[in-house]
Amino acid sequence: MDFKDYYSALGVDRNASDDDIRKAYRKLARKYHPDVSKEPDADRKMRDINEARDVLQDKEKRAAYDALADRVARGGSPEGGFHPPPGWDEGFEFHRGPHAGPSDHADFSEFFSSLFGDAMRRGGGRGAGAAPRGRGEDHHAAIEISLEDALHGAERQISLRAQVVDEQGHPRFETRTLDVRIPAGVRPGQFIRLTGQGLPGYGGEPAGDLYLEVRIAAHKLYRIEGSDLYMTLPVSPAEAALGAQVTVPVPGGGHVDVTVPPNARGGMKLRLKERGLPGKSPGHLYLLLEIALPPADSQAVRDAYAQLAKASEPWDPRKNLGA
Amino acid sequence: MSPVSMTIVESAPLTLHELARAVGAEEGWIVQLVEVEILHVDAPADPPERWHFRSADLQRALAARRLERDFGANLDAAALILELQQEIRRLHGLLGAHGIRGSGLQT
Repeated sequence: MDFKDYYSALGVDRNASDDDIRKAYRKLARKYHPDVSKEPDADRKMRDINEARDVLQDKEKRAAYDALADRVARGGSPEGGFHPPPGWDEGFEFHRGPHAGPSDHADFSEFFSSLFGDAMRRGGGRGAGAAPRGRGEDHHAAIEISLEDALHGAERQISLRAQVVDEQGHPRFETRTLDVRIPAGVRPGQFIRLTGQGLPGYGGEPAGDLYLEVRIAAHKLYRIEGSDLYMTLPVSPAEAALGAQVTVPVPGGGHVDVTVPPNARGGMKLRLKERGLPGKSPGHLYLLLEIALPPADSQAVRDAYAQLAKASEPWDPRKNLGA
Repeated sequence: MSPVSMTIVESAPLTLHELARAVGAEEGWIVQLVEVEILHVDAPADPPERWHFRSADLQRALAARRLERDFGANLDAAALILELQQEIRRLHGLLGAHGIRGSGLQT
C-alpha cells in the first residue's frame, strides 16, 4: 500500500483553503463525472477525487492526515509500503460527512480504509461508549453482460472488493466472489438485488444488500433502446427500388425472411414485432434500411450505372437545391 | 458457497424505507424527490409507506444524490439536470435510430 497524496489528486497545494479545495474538486468532478465523462478511466479518477475531497474537506481528517504526512516525510516509507503507525490518529475524531452515503467509503482505497475505515464503520467518534450495532450498508456495483446473456439468461461469477474487520478490529479489504444468475429478459439499467451481500453489519446485525446494475455490452449488430433493438440492414439499390425478400439474423440466433417494400428509401424502418428483448412487454426489432451502392469497379457495373442514369432521365437528385 | 437470494427490482419493487437505505438517505429526502418530481410514484396521494419504486427510480435517486454531493446542487436544480439528461438520451436515441451516432452523454 502506498501513501496517497490527496493534495496532488485535487491539484491543490497544502495551504489550499476550503474554497480552493471545493473549486478544484468541482472542476475535476465535471471532467470525470460518471454521468457525462467520456474519459476511459473516469470511474477510477472520480473515486480518487471523491476520496481526496472526503479527507481534505473535513477539518479533523485533514488535520490528522497532514500530521501523518509530516510524520511519513520525516521517517520515510517503511519497507513493503506504507502502514499507518500505531496511534497516528490520537486526538482526532472522525465523522461521516453529511452527504456520504452507502458504500461511498467502501469504494475508497485501502489507504483510506486503513486510516479512517474503523471510525467510519462505527459512524462516529473513536472509542466512544458501548459496542456499536447496526445493519450493514447497502452496496452498489455494476455487471456488464452480453446481449445474448440478456436474451437467454446466464450465470456469472463476479469479484467484489469488500471491507472486513480482522481479529484485531482493523478494517482491511478482501476480495470475495459471488455466483450470480442473470435472468433472461433483463434490461440495461435494471438492478438485481442480492439480499445480505452488501457491507457487513456490526454488533450481530445483518449485512446490507448488494444492488447490481445491469449493463449490456455494445453488440456488433444490434443497438439497444429500452427494450427495443435496432439493426442496420444494408440493401442493394435494386432491392430497395424493386422490393425484395432478404434474410436477416435475429437476436438470440436464427434467421427470418423480411420483405423490403418496393421504392424503399434509406433510413426507412421495418419493425419485427416482439423480436427485441423478451419480457412482460417484449420489445421490437427495428431494421434500419441503408442502401449500399455496388462499387463501380468493372466495365459491366459502370455500363449498368450509365444505363440506369439514362433510363431514369430527367430525374435529378439535386432538384430541390434550386441550382 | 451458500445460495444467494437475488431478485430484479422490477419483480419486487422497493419500499420507501428500502429505497432510502439503498441510496444512504433519510426517508424524508426520498419524499422530497417525489415532491420535486425527480421520482414519480403511481399514487402520490397515498401515504409514503405505500409507495413503490423500481430500477429507474433507484437510478434517478442515486444520480440526484451524486449531483447534490458532488456539485452542491439543490433538488430543483438536480431535477432540471436529470430532465435535460433524459432529453439528451432521448435525442441520442432518435439520432441512433437514424443511423447517426451522437456525442456526449452515455446512452
